[in-house]
Amino acid sequence: MKKNPYKVLGIKEGASYDEIKRAYRELAKKYHPDKYRNNPLADLADEKMREINEAYETLMKNAGGAYQYQQDYDQTYENSNASQGSYSQQYQQQQQQKQQQQSSSQYQYQYQYGYDDEAELERQARMYVNNGNLAEAQRILDKMRNRNASWYYLQGLVFLRRGWYDRGYSSIQKAVNMDPSNFEYRNALNNLNQQRAGYRQNPYYRNTYHQSPDMCNLCVNLWCADTCCECMGGDLIGCC
Amino acid sequence: MFGYVEPDKPELKIREFDVFRGYYCSLCKTIGKRYGQIPRLSLSYDLTFLYILLDATSAFPLGGRRERCIAHPMKKRFRVFSNIFAEYASDMNVILTYYSLKDKWDDEKSLLGGTGSLALKMAFNKARKLHPEKCSAIEGYLKDLRTLEKNKCDSVDEAAEPFASLMRELFECGHIKDESTRKTLGWMGYNLGRWIYLIDAFDDLSKDIKHKSYNPILCQYDFNGEDVESFKERVRKALNFNLTYSLSEIEKAYSLLDIEKNKGILDNILYSGLIVKTDAILQGRGKNEKESI
Repeated sequence: MKKNPYKVLGIKEGASYDEIKRAYRELAKKYHPDKYRNNPLADLADEKMREINEAYETLMKNAGGAYQYQQDYDQTYENSNASQGSYSQQYQQQQQQKQQQQSSSQYQYQYQYGYDDEAELERQARMYVNNGNLAEAQRILDKMRNRNASWYYLQGLVFLRRGWYDRGYSSIQKAVNMDPSNFEYRNALNNLNQQRAGYRQNPYYRNTYHQSPDMCNLCVNLWCADTCCECMGGDLIGCC
Repeated sequence: MFGYVEPDKPELKIREFDVFRGYYCSLCKTIGKRYGQIPRLSLSYDLTFLYILLDATSAFPLGGRRERCIAHPMKKRFRVFSNIFAEYASDMNVILTYYSLKDKWDDEKSLLGGTGSLALKMAFNKARKLHPEKCSAIEGYLKDLRTLEKNKCDSVDEAAEPFASLMRELFECGHIKDESTRKTLGWMGYNLGRWIYLIDAFDDLSKDIKHKSYNPILCQYDFNGEDVESFKERVRKALNFNLTYSLSEIEKAYSLLDIEKNKGILDNILYSGLIVKTDAILQGRGKNEKESI
């Protein structure tokens, strides 16, 4: 049975175009595949994302927003970096890019090593990591003798997937240090730092602990304002 | 269990606080009804959290009433009606408390451990009969944990593994039929277990240095007899990453669950309570620090 699209997006029935769009954006950010990249629950997040995309598209088509939806769609289609509009297209593009990247990197390996044993092992390990078969990936990694940057990268991914974040982080850090020009490794490291920092960005925590004005802030702000005024030759607080 | 999983009380609504306490009372009374009065003393916040979380995944309406109890004979308090999840949490509470007391007795011959584990023996046997697989899995993980500690394991990740897996076992409750919900809960449990183990290890640093006992953080970061504060300063960044990343994974799993009720309380604990606790302990305001002042 198909779920009620309003319920999927967490909005009231008959919500306005802007409300639907806002809810959709929020949810798309929450379940974005980048966030679940090294997570064993990635398939569940994917499913949720699909549901959300479907709900959004149904609502946009049905709720008399057809015209605007079409506009959105066109915009996204024209600007590939569009920050507006549906994420589903962006997501599809990303998947395509990913596939292209994978096939081109495979080609590179073959080019560099020929059909060397090590390269073959590495290819297998990468495949198992992508499939989520961690035990097998670890077994192959243990077999490899050539501990280069990509070995550390793959090992790092296995650790992260298992939930060993300290080792995962240091392995990926090592891969980046060994091959600083590699985009994939640096990207993974940045992603880790972002995930960590992202946790404190949730509205529940941020609103209470970062934006509440208190007396201390008030004093510091006054002092700053006073200093600025004095710089310009004026004075805000006469006594200091 | 260590009792680190608590709500961020100042941010709870009064209604939410009442419901939270209602769950706490309900768990306490369920233990009393199933196991008698003494095991009620083993009640912990961590298991209350488990109870609230499991209950939140089911669509049963929330019900309760005001009652008196032994601990608060003067005033009636709101309690939530017990259900299968309360029973499950109470069984797990008894099992875990028994093992932790027995561990204390075996290691240090502590009086509390000895008498406690004796007093809980009957209750434990009953709980084990109800959950034989869970019990043997838990026992296995605790054995792994003891082996790692004996071998002075020098990786925090590896040392946290058994306790994290134990928590995964606990969170994958058999009463939840949906496979993917159970898997999501399990991943939440795994990461929460990691977080509890590591935060407890950090909180115990000064104590473990003084008593020269095992602590994975001391082993991984080569403690060389320096000042406690400067050692903490040295490791704080790495641990902050490790802990906060675990929390971010909990959050990711949590957002995949269909939460039917108690969202306010769970949001409070998972988005605020845990991180506030992390900051407090990393900055040396944990419960062990208070004792030393």
